[in-house]
Amino acid sequence: MSDMKLNGNYLIHDDGNTKYVVSTGSTNFNGIARGNETAGFIIECLRSETTEDEIVSKMQENWDVSDELARRDVRKIVEQLRTMGAVDE
Amino acid sequence: MMRATMTGCYKIAGKTVAMTSLYPDVHEYCAEYRTDEAPDFAVEVTPADIEDEDARTRREYALEERPVPGFSPEILEQTAAYRKIAERLIAYDRVVFHGACVAVDGQGYLFTAKSGTGKSTHAALWSELLGERAVNVNDDKPILHVADDGVTAYGTPWTGKHHRGRNMAVPLKAICLLEQAAENHIAPITWKRAYPMLVQQTYRPRDAERLAITMPLVDRLARSVKLYCLRCNMDLSAAETAWNAMKG
Repeated sequence: MSDMKLNGNYLIHDDGNTKYVVSTGSTNFNGIARGNETAGFIIECLRSETTEDEIVSKMQENWDVSDELARRDVRKIVEQLRTMGAVDE
Repeated sequence: MMRATMTGCYKIAGKTVAMTSLYPDVHEYCAEYRTDEAPDFAVEVTPADIEDEDARTRREYALEERPVPGFSPEILEQTAAYRKIAERLIAYDRVVFHGACVAVDGQGYLFTAKSGTGKSTHAALWSELLGERAVNVNDDKPILHVADDGVTAYGTPWTGKHHRGRNMAVPLKAICLLEQAAENHIAPITWKRAYPMLVQQTYRPRDAERLAITMPLVDRLARSVKLYCLRCNMDLSAAETAWNAMKG
């Protein structure tokens, strides 16, 4: 499975209770994406190089969640970040 | 090859910048802001910056599917210079913000929306409604000093396509998101509702390190001023609706 990581032109910002992914002025994506708790967790995992499997197992360490459900969330969030151009892989 | 440059010092948002350029135009553009004070920092526009600004402009117009105007190197240099200044001002808790700022009785009201929504039009309606009591601080890209004890809006030489603005500073009282509508309606909004727009309208630097300094400033900005959303048409009554709600 391929490695992936948040692109260096995107910043994870925490305003105290919500996590955001914000683009620098160097990207075509203008702005900001807001995540719920699960999205925030997945995004945090992407700070360093990781894989889908790794994120899924980290989620299962934190929550009582099936492999299938966790994987679905990871794929959904990663796909959204990909659309923004925010994933290096 | 030799390259002639020229340098001038300007006081922008309370900080003195030594600006070095390739063309004289940007110095004329900033003439009203000239100062003899010692610079806090220096910026220099290079040919590469102008090329970069050209490429960026083309990209932005292409994304919006608008025809690309042929901007001269002189004009591109003006924009490149402002970008460089914006990048450096972040370290002084100052951000360039896309909006039209009007001062009434010494307090600032900032209208923000995507280009083409009618920020300038609405700001002009305030002048029509309030006469000389309303002063256009900056019609396009004022600078906000986001301090612990409040926000100050500064006029800058970069005053947008109508060239409306003044070299002045006012405490910022409110930010109002503008949306076009047939009927005028204004309501206070929470900072959570306003936040994505405030982030989008704040100058975001090119690198993540400076962006990491910018974002807490946006958080503080969102919590420091009153926030509204105005749905409005372009009649004078739009300014009445806004002013009556925001003056209180």
